[in-house]
Amino acid sequence: MTTPARTQSIDDSVPRDRNELSVGEDLDFQRRWWRFEHAVWIVFTVIVALDVAGVFGRGPVAKVHKSTPDGAMNLTYEQFQRFQTPSIISIHFGPNAVRDGKLQLWVSQSVITKAGNQRIIPEPASSELKDQGLLYTWPSGQHPDSADFAVEPASPGIYYFSVRLPALGDEFTERVVVWP
Amino acid sequence: MAAVFRAVFGYLFLVFVVRVVGRRPGKQMAPFDYVLIFFLGGLTLTGMVANDRSLTNAFVQIITVALCHFVLTALRRRSNRFAVWMDGTPLVLLRNGQWVEETIRKMNFSRDDILAAMRSNGQRNLHEVHYAVLERSGMITIIPGGEEKGSQ
Repeated sequence: MTTPARTQSIDDSVPRDRNELSVGEDLDFQRRWWRFEHAVWIVFTVIVALDVAGVFGRGPVAKVHKSTPDGAMNLTYEQFQRFQTPSIISIHFGPNAVRDGKLQLWVSQSVITKAGNQRIIPEPASSELKDQGLLYTWPSGQHPDSADFAVEPASPGIYYFSVRLPALGDEFTERVVVWP
Repeated sequence: MAAVFRAVFGYLFLVFVVRVVGRRPGKQMAPFDYVLIFFLGGLTLTGMVANDRSLTNAFVQIITVALCHFVLTALRRRSNRFAVWMDGTPLVLLRNGQWVEETIRKMNFSRDDILAAMRSNGQRNLHEVHYAVLERSGMITIIPGGEEKGSQ
């Protein structure tokens, strides 16, 4: 024989509206919740405004332009990037960046490991490990006006990267925030 | 492990957003409300899946979301306070021929929503309605009876 399901006598403890309808309305809680909701909508609006401005990447605030005093190197990058989302670190070279007929650019290892460099446009003729970074060389006649590093950050957080013109000693060390 | 965290975050964040957006499921949903459902689902999916399109990822994340849902449901059943935080409480929208304006306005409802619920319940006019209650599920319950019954 099947055991009957357990039962319990009715305990009508639900608050009644005007002593006639068991509805369980809690207006005090609901008013607190409406105030909380109001605050949440303000926070949501601020988040959207910050995103439009570029604080979470891909906007005017995210873009950074820097130049060396002699104009040999102009750096453009996004100080706010997103995890596994493509971004460009662009370096424009002035005429005085070329020495002995070749253009050399040193970048810190973090451009590869943290920024997740995918490729360099245009491709350098050679690269070598140097000073905990990489030294790229474009030979005579092939040196470009600019070099673009197509990056895709490998993890969220903060990383620093450096770029340097070894011939002149011009260097930038920059901080990038990567949002999840 | 990241897949599990993404799934947990995606699920809980979506539950939170849906809770904040308000109660309008079922019969009270207007066509534009469906846009919200589809959009939120699709956008959450993008972040949850990321660049891992493997069957393993889908398998793990489905189980994670199911587990989260089970835990929330169990907590809701065990704790009345938690249930109130999750779903709110039922709210009276109309009582004895009087609109409860504060509740209707703050819940982003219109009188038309209550009239639609009334008609769908078989009442022909508001004088036949004693109570209209917005339930936790978002449905509107109509208690027939009329003003004279309520004033007793």
